[in-house]
Amino acid sequence: MDLINVKDLCFQEKVKNFIKKSDTVFNLGPVNFNLKAGETLAIVGENGSGKSLLAKLLIGLEQPSSGHILLSGHDLSKSSLSQKCHDIRMIFQNSNESLNPGLTLGAILEEPLRLNTSLTSQERNLKIEETLKQVGLMNDHKFFYRHMLSDGQRQRVALARALILNPKIIVADEPFAALDPSVRSQTVNLLMRLQRELGLGFIFISHNLGIVRHISDKVIVMKQGQVVESGKTDVIFNWPNDQYTKKLVDAHQALVNSQDN
Amino acid sequence: MVLLDIKNLTLEIELSGEWVKTLDKINLVIHEGEIHALVGESGSGKSLIVKAIVGALPNKRWRITADRMTWLGQDMLAMSALSRRKLIRNDISVIFQNPIGSLDPILPLGKQLKEVLDIGKIRKSWFWKKKQQKHKMAVDLLHRVGIKNHELCLSSFPHQISNDVLQKFMIAMALASGPKLIIADDPTRGMEVNAKTQILKLLSRVNQVRNTSILFVSHDLLAISSMAHFMTVLYCGQTVETGELKKLRKRAFHPYTQALLDSAPSFRKDLPPKSKLSSLPGTIPTLHHLPIGCRFGPRCPRARKECVTTPAVRKIHNHYYSCHFPLHWEGK
Repeated sequence: MDLINVKDLCFQEKVKNFIKKSDTVFNLGPVNFNLKAGETLAIVGENGSGKSLLAKLLIGLEQPSSGHILLSGHDLSKSSLSQKCHDIRMIFQNSNESLNPGLTLGAILEEPLRLNTSLTSQERNLKIEETLKQVGLMNDHKFFYRHMLSDGQRQRVALARALILNPKIIVADEPFAALDPSVRSQTVNLLMRLQRELGLGFIFISHNLGIVRHISDKVIVMKQGQVVESGKTDVIFNWPNDQYTKKLVDAHQALVNSQDN
Repeated sequence: MVLLDIKNLTLEIELSGEWVKTLDKINLVIHEGEIHALVGESGSGKSLIVKAIVGALPNKRWRITADRMTWLGQDMLAMSALSRRKLIRNDISVIFQNPIGSLDPILPLGKQLKEVLDIGKIRKSWFWKKKQQKHKMAVDLLHRVGIKNHELCLSSFPHQISNDVLQKFMIAMALASGPKLIIADDPTRGMEVNAKTQILKLLSRVNQVRNTSILFVSHDLLAISSMAHFMTVLYCGQTVETGELKKLRKRAFHPYTQALLDSAPSFRKDLPPKSKLSSLPGTIPTLHHLPIGCRFGPRCPRARKECVTTPAVRKIHNHYYSCHFPLHWEGK
């Protein structure tokens, strides 16, 4: 049983024109993939290739122009907004700027619970403490503001906010880009542990092919809105078919191998 | 030949009434024609070193002291502001971190590039030829860094051009004065692999063809190990380890260097997918809460009682490290 199944997902960005009705400026897709529980999908590609747009389509920030997203067999476009929020959560690119500076972490984490569940305030409090512990923070962090935390901790809060509604899938837009090497491997470890424990599906966008190769089961390679190649990580890294994928993998291999000689 | 020689550079800033050492006794030696990498996490003071070298720190807020800070034998700290500026104009260029933030948003790129051209060469020609000659020099520079569409590039504004081309443009600007040392401050941050290799190849070609030294500041170990000869590892304003990159990668003496090397999954081919990466607990401390002694102490897996005093620099075959209990003492 697939956790998420994306069929022929397309998106056209149109610019309204005064004389002609509209102009298509960007075409995304068609995108096809499926993901089982506990698997990781990585999306790689150059800047402006529509990776972030695909992430937005998945969580429902943008409406696809055609195609279906099936979540455990149900069409996502037919399910209600709160159901969507329960099932798919997102971690944004810049964890610093996606947290509200005027609210304590407790308030930030409480918001999705208040809007999407019917828990009492005591239950919400318990849930927040539980989630904070899950991502390796302490209960007292509820009273902290964003500026009192380090980069790694902020990333943990962003992850806690994504986890708090017990989603089935987490979509992350370059979660490791802004982090330092030692903090980055902490975050990677945390994500892998949570995935093992909770059976999450994890979809992430990254430029760092080393990490992509390490943690993902499947890879989608995108270029100018089109999927040029998709498949198992192992296959793509060892036997790339497409010219662009070859170039990417070769560039990465060259960097890795050049220190040996 | 030694180009830049820095010994015990200390940089202090006043924070709520007390002077805090943001850089604590940094040593850095750059020889002619070498690529020297400066590695460290954010907040470890990499960019501060760059700023201290080019003199971009305001004297009022910062207190800079050094036993030695020389450029080709001339003392940089004793120099007058004007002569130091001249020296930096001619011999040192900096490529800044974020090209879009460091270029003027309201001037076309062509104008910005022509501003930094070597005036000495232009002055010899007749005045009606000057404009043409400037243009030719600018186009030459762009070709040298691999920008083919020079007319478009020269006439457009920074926001109209993609990030990696802008970064190449910054390198072209850095090459304009024919410097002896290029300081590249995290030039590949946030780039995808193809663009990154292009920039790295370009920098190492500049190094080989013109024998320019490069100080490569970054935390991307993969990029560094593909091109650098020497490496200096910084932690929290202290130099942790310096040495030849190959030796350092084969055998690191300091636990922090080892942790850095281990944290990159690309370096370890034997690592099974989805296995746990080795990582250090905690994060880099803030300036307000700097630990005394070895600043790496609280996160160090090998820390002992002695680590509350600052370790002295030790040397083995051109390989400097400062640690009380280095990794190669395992057997003893």
